[in-house]
Amino acid sequence: MIVLGFDTATAATAVALRLDEETTTEARDDPGPGEHPGHATRLLAMTRELLDEAGVRWSDLDRIAVGVGPGTFTGLRVGIATARGLAQSLSAELVGVSSLAALAEAAFAAMADDPRVDGVLAVIDARRGEAFAAAYERGAGSPVELTTPLALAPEDLGSVIVRAAGASGGRLRRWLAVGDGATRFRGQLEATGAHVLSDRSPLQTVSAAAICELGSRAEPGGGYEAIVPDYRRRPDAEIAFTGGGGRSES
Amino acid sequence: MTILAVETSCDDTCAAVIDTNGWIRSNVVSSQEVHERFGGVVPEIASRHHLELVNVIVEEALRRASATLADVELVAATQGPGLVGALLVGLSTAKALAAARELPFAAVDHLQGHVAANFLSHAGSAGDADPTEGVEGEPGPGAGAFEPPFLCLLASGGHTLLAHVTEHDGFEVLGRTLDDAAGEAFDKGARMLGLGYPGGAALERLAREGDPEAFSFPGSAGERSRGGLGARRKAFAESLDFSFAGVKTALLYALRDLSEPDRKARAADLAASYQAAIVDSLVLRTERALQRTGIRRLAVGGGVAANGELRRRLKDLDATLHIPAPPLCTDNAAMIASAARFGRRLPYPDYLALDAYATGERPR
Ligand SMILES: [Zn+2]
Repeated sequence: MIVLGFDTATAATAVALRLDEETTTEARDDPGPGEHPGHATRLLAMTRELLDEAGVRWSDLDRIAVGVGPGTFTGLRVGIATARGLAQSLSAELVGVSSLAALAEAAFAAMADDPRVDGVLAVIDARRGEAFAAAYERGAGSPVELTTPLALAPEDLGSVIVRAAGASGGRLRRWLAVGDGATRFRGQLEATGAHVLSDRSPLQTVSAAAICELGSRAEPGGGYEAIVPDYRRRPDAEIAFTGGGGRSES
Repeated sequence: MTILAVETSCDDTCAAVIDTNGWIRSNVVSSQEVHERFGGVVPEIASRHHLELVNVIVEEALRRASATLADVELVAATQGPGLVGALLVGLSTAKALAAARELPFAAVDHLQGHVAANFLSHAGSAGDADPTEGVEGEPGPGAGAFEPPFLCLLASGGHTLLAHVTEHDGFEVLGRTLDDAAGEAFDKGARMLGLGYPGGAALERLAREGDPEAFSFPGSAGERSRGGLGARRKAFAESLDFSFAGVKTALLYALRDLSEPDRKARAADLAASYQAAIVDSLVLRTERALQRTGIRRLAVGGGVAANGELRRRLKDLDATLHIPAPPLCTDNAAMIASAARFGRRLPYPDYLALDAYATGERPR
């Protein structure tokens, strides 16, 4: 099964092509400080380059896996619209993958034997001084989500770890926090005892190879409507209109 | 040749299939009514709805055209101007649809789309409203198309301009609004009169009961003949540009100066006078543009083309008038496909890096 995967939840545009269990090629575009994300301009162009290099035709793609966030709204829509358009045009399978789970997947894979890691807190910068975060532990296959992804203030990140650790009955003690939100809120996270790798570690960015990996294990189903961004925030206008908080309830 | 087009520049999710001769095979529009309670289009909400609907609307357009993607030879989408987040949903979808089949792609300017609505043979299935209105000659491929040269008055909630159309691809802007769009002025006036949003149609209904000369609002013929503000600002008064900020403010002041019972009693007069000021201003500049260019052919596009008073006044002008069927005047994808039929098409993979552009931005 040939799987094309990509993620546009953060400013980066990440694409990967999984030919089989051993062979995955990747391309990514990380805009520098002050540069605009290249989602709209780079995603399809990088995908085509990967396909050409691998000698794979569009029609050879069996499945499209797309990161559904949470993350930047416009970025997610560009990624998901592109994934849906490709799947519709190719009659290929389509699966949505949590961008936070992809961060955890890559971290567990890279830190397989590292004693510093019992659990992973995946954190994506949600802008406006907030973070999207969820806690994971190792599973038989994919990482197991211990807490529902939430938009929260950086000072509340520690409570997610406390909750996840508590739910494990104290089994998960050593936590690694990864993602652009982990480097952004390094201070708050390290204060809770979580370990944060260097800013330049590849584990801080959502890996499209991990999207492919999780996507290849997922069960495709539902229509295009089922693959939507995991917004975690209501539109500002709706919040202003109906009142109440912007954060999701669950 | 079969062209598939997608349009998501504002709050309507649209897809259409046309033939290479301009015959409409399907034209599907899903309007988002969710914005009504906000009194205007909320970009984030529009973008969310576009994404939910776009693939289903494309599927529906293909189904109604009895076509599949295998029949499509050219894919088109609106590139701008409009709400960037909304545009990106349709543009990303359309680029992906085309790329996966290595089809050529046309990135269409939304305003060029409104102009190109006139090139369609709209005896085809244009949607729910009567698609035969404005058709010249027998229905059939090529029938009903209005050929350049002509002047085109575009008036909607998003744009107001006078275009000089001498060829199928491109146009010269003779004048445009310096502030609000005409449709926006209608909607804002309707809101001030308590008619809800969007209230252009309700304002027109109320105006039928009123006296258009009861109030002398800026832009109206009455106001100009009395040497009002519009006449005194000579450079503007003689240009082909539009301005609707003044009439909006004038309505606000008129309402403020009336007592609560008078506001109710005179609502129809206010609506009629307000509408007259907008329509007068549109018609005056259109007439002036016809005189200056010597062209005697006039087309109209945009949602304001549905206004009965405007249609009646434009019919009285000394020009052959062409008004596409209502579903082709408001935002739709058939007009984008029509523009794609005559515009630049990029072969695969030259379009993969195309980005959307916002209102007021220059195309890249
Ligand atoms: Zn329009």
